[in-house]
Amino acid sequence: MRQTRLTALLAVLLLALASVAAVGCGGGSDTSGTSGAGGGEGGGGGEPLTVGSDIPYPPFEQGKPGEYTGFDVELMEAIGEKIGRTPEFQDTSFETIFRDVGQGKFDAAMSAATITEEREKAVDFSNPYYLSEQAVLVKEGSPIKSLKDLEGKTVAAQQGTTGLELAKEELGGSEIRPYPEGPDAINALKAGTVEGVIIDAPVAQHAVEEGGGIEIVEKVATEEDYGIAVAQGETELLEEINKGLEEVEQDGTYTKIFEKWFHAPPPKAVFSATHEAE
Amino acid sequence: MSEFFNQYFDFHVMGEHFWEVLEAFLQNLVIFAVAAALALIWGLALALLRQLPGKKLLPIRFITVAYIDLFRAIPILIIILLISGGVPFLSFIPQSIRIPHWFGKPDPFWYGVAALVIVYGAFTAEVYRAGIEAVPGGQMEAARSLGMNHWQAMRHVIVPQALTLIPAPMLNEMISLLKDTTLISVIAFSEAVLVSREVLSERLNSSAMILTAFFFVIIILPLARVVDRLIARNQGKIARGSHIEVA
Repeated sequence: MRQTRLTALLAVLLLALASVAAVGCGGGSDTSGTSGAGGGEGGGGGEPLTVGSDIPYPPFEQGKPGEYTGFDVELMEAIGEKIGRTPEFQDTSFETIFRDVGQGKFDAAMSAATITEEREKAVDFSNPYYLSEQAVLVKEGSPIKSLKDLEGKTVAAQQGTTGLELAKEELGGSEIRPYPEGPDAINALKAGTVEGVIIDAPVAQHAVEEGGGIEIVEKVATEEDYGIAVAQGETELLEEINKGLEEVEQDGTYTKIFEKWFHAPPPKAVFSATHEAE
Repeated sequence: MSEFFNQYFDFHVMGEHFWEVLEAFLQNLVIFAVAAALALIWGLALALLRQLPGKKLLPIRFITVAYIDLFRAIPILIIILLISGGVPFLSFIPQSIRIPHWFGKPDPFWYGVAALVIVYGAFTAEVYRAGIEAVPGGQMEAARSLGMNHWQAMRHVIVPQALTLIPAPMLNEMISLLKDTTLISVIAFSEAVLVSREVLSERLNSSAMILTAFFFVIIILPLARVVDRLIARNQGKIARGSHIEVA
């Protein structure tokens, strides 16, 4: 009896030790990865620029840690090349992203984020790099043909997004379900537990292309401009980002990246869109 | 430091969202009540199945043990996501069961309840088992020698005694169950954590989350004290040597 108890205790201790070692290793390789990116990059050549982003949100940000890709990621890399900084994307939660940038946890946030007055109280935004619409996503063959038809139905959106705000404003009599991640909301539509999803148009477009029997029935212009957020008072960084953005827009890199991810030419208005950080 | 207090203890934000968060917290209590009642019954059923005697019933014992082991091992978050993401696709089940809207509650509510009952059934079964196995073997022998069959002996002699031994550990499981109701927020059921996160994304302030934490503390602290008293009472009994009392 005594012996078995001792063995059990030893096993537990070993397990604890192993997990501590594993965590230690993880931390170790993390640091080496960062320093490698900072020192080894010849092309970018710049200081690292940490960028917070709520991943996945395809096609804006997607992929595995260390190999993130998407429109935001590639655009930021192009901007970084112009201004001599190497962006390092870090996955974070959208609802805390502006607070975290404001507190300096990241140098910047780029997460398909709409510039809003409320958010501007916590951070400063760059010039718009993307002009957005919301899409109403339903099952193929659904009797729902517009945003208005969703009145009184069960509607999904992502927590903390303008799609959710739009749903709350326009659909007073509906049951609105805020999912923590966009793909969860789209899955709920496919599963049939909700009858419509209101989400950023490109995300909806991407979901439709992936298949699964869903379609976009309406796009709603919301005067939404996506911006890159930095902490308030980081004027120098903000100016650099704006300068880099302007350069990639003028030399055609922007159009190339846009067409790669959205299979359509970019709206012309985005090239002249500016934004005054408040 | 003041930033910290503004972020987490902004009484203005707490006040403005108080009723909204409280109403959502009541949803946690409703989920808890339904899930706890079902899990207590399901757990007892599992514990009894596990105690079935004889060689013939070995497969049932085996399946029960496998169930208990499996669902104690899988994180409950995974069970919630699997049920909510998978069950609606099982088209051979009628839609009213696949996507339930019973008693005016939406489907995420029932997916959450199902996940909690499946997992906490396994945990409570182990608590019942501890109680049953703590009743001295002579009790079963005595009952059987009086002519009771296994089921009668369980029903009238073993389980009533077992139940007097387990309130404290069972209450611990229930406290844990109450806290795990917050996990249902991941499938977009408007309970307290989801609503607090809504407030967080709207106001960029975590005070509503603290308010939610406060509600949980208010409910759970008295329960924790009850657990302490139950343990003390049990120890008192053992010390007096009247460990076994027939209910």
